[in-house]
Amino acid sequence: MSDGFDSFLHGALQPEARDPDRRFVARVQARIAVEAHLRAQRRGTLRQLAVQLVGIAGVAAGVVWLGRAESVDRFFGESPAWALCAMLSLFALMLVLFTSQKVEQSPAKSYK
Amino acid sequence: MAPGNDEDLALSRRAAAGDSAAFAMLVEKHERPLRAFLMRMGTAEPDDVAQEAFLKAWRFAGQYDGRARYSTWLTRIAWRCRIDAARRRSSAVQDLEQAGTGTCRAEVADMLARLGEGERAALVLCEGHGWTHQEAAELLAMPLGTLKSTVARAKDKCRAMWSGDSA
Repeated sequence: MSDGFDSFLHGALQPEARDPDRRFVARVQARIAVEAHLRAQRRGTLRQLAVQLVGIAGVAAGVVWLGRAESVDRFFGESPAWALCAMLSLFALMLVLFTSQKVEQSPAKSYK
Repeated sequence: MAPGNDEDLALSRRAAAGDSAAFAMLVEKHERPLRAFLMRMGTAEPDDVAQEAFLKAWRFAGQYDGRARYSTWLTRIAWRCRIDAARRRSSAVQDLEQAGTGTCRAEVADMLARLGEGERAALVLCEGHGWTHQEAAELLAMPLGTLKSTVARAKDKCRAMWSGDSA
């Protein structure tokens, strides 16, 4: 049936003829950039957390090792107040060390 | 590999390797038909859905193997994004007046609004976007025969409306 309907329908349903929408492309690229940036930040945070955990474990192991030494054990046994002071100082030092580290903000790897 | 798809496959591979300029070329090439399709389907906020689809296409660029046309692969992603967005909104189709915006003539928007969702998608893709029946059947998860009869039924309905209007 050639009543013009087919050509009407075909023409009406075709995507409109126009140039690429640069603003839309830019918006997509911006979203991709944000996502890549967030991913890089997340990776940096995880790496930092891992480093901190290793550091804490190392310090804890050192404290345990020191505590096992007879002279230290005796000293702390005789003066527990000093032991508490030493522990608190160590904790404060670790806190200062870890909080003063800058968060790594590397640019997105995928945007060369 | 789908015929005439070499360029898109090459661009997609570059995008998978992190080349955002290559991906921008893919967006430039495919945003027009994708957004037109989403708009014809009466999708709520079609540009947001299209952006989401492109973002996923970027994330999973490495999975595109060139067996289907890039536009088919992308539309499949957008179709799922559309369903997800509709679920989030708890309404599958926004006010169908939106289908009539842009250059879509009011009578066409009215015709499409009277079709079922599957009929509308099948008709727009096969009659307007040059998809094969096979491609549309895969997207809409329909058997090929069902898709063909869906397109024919949708066309008949539109023809009846068109004859009624032009009479």
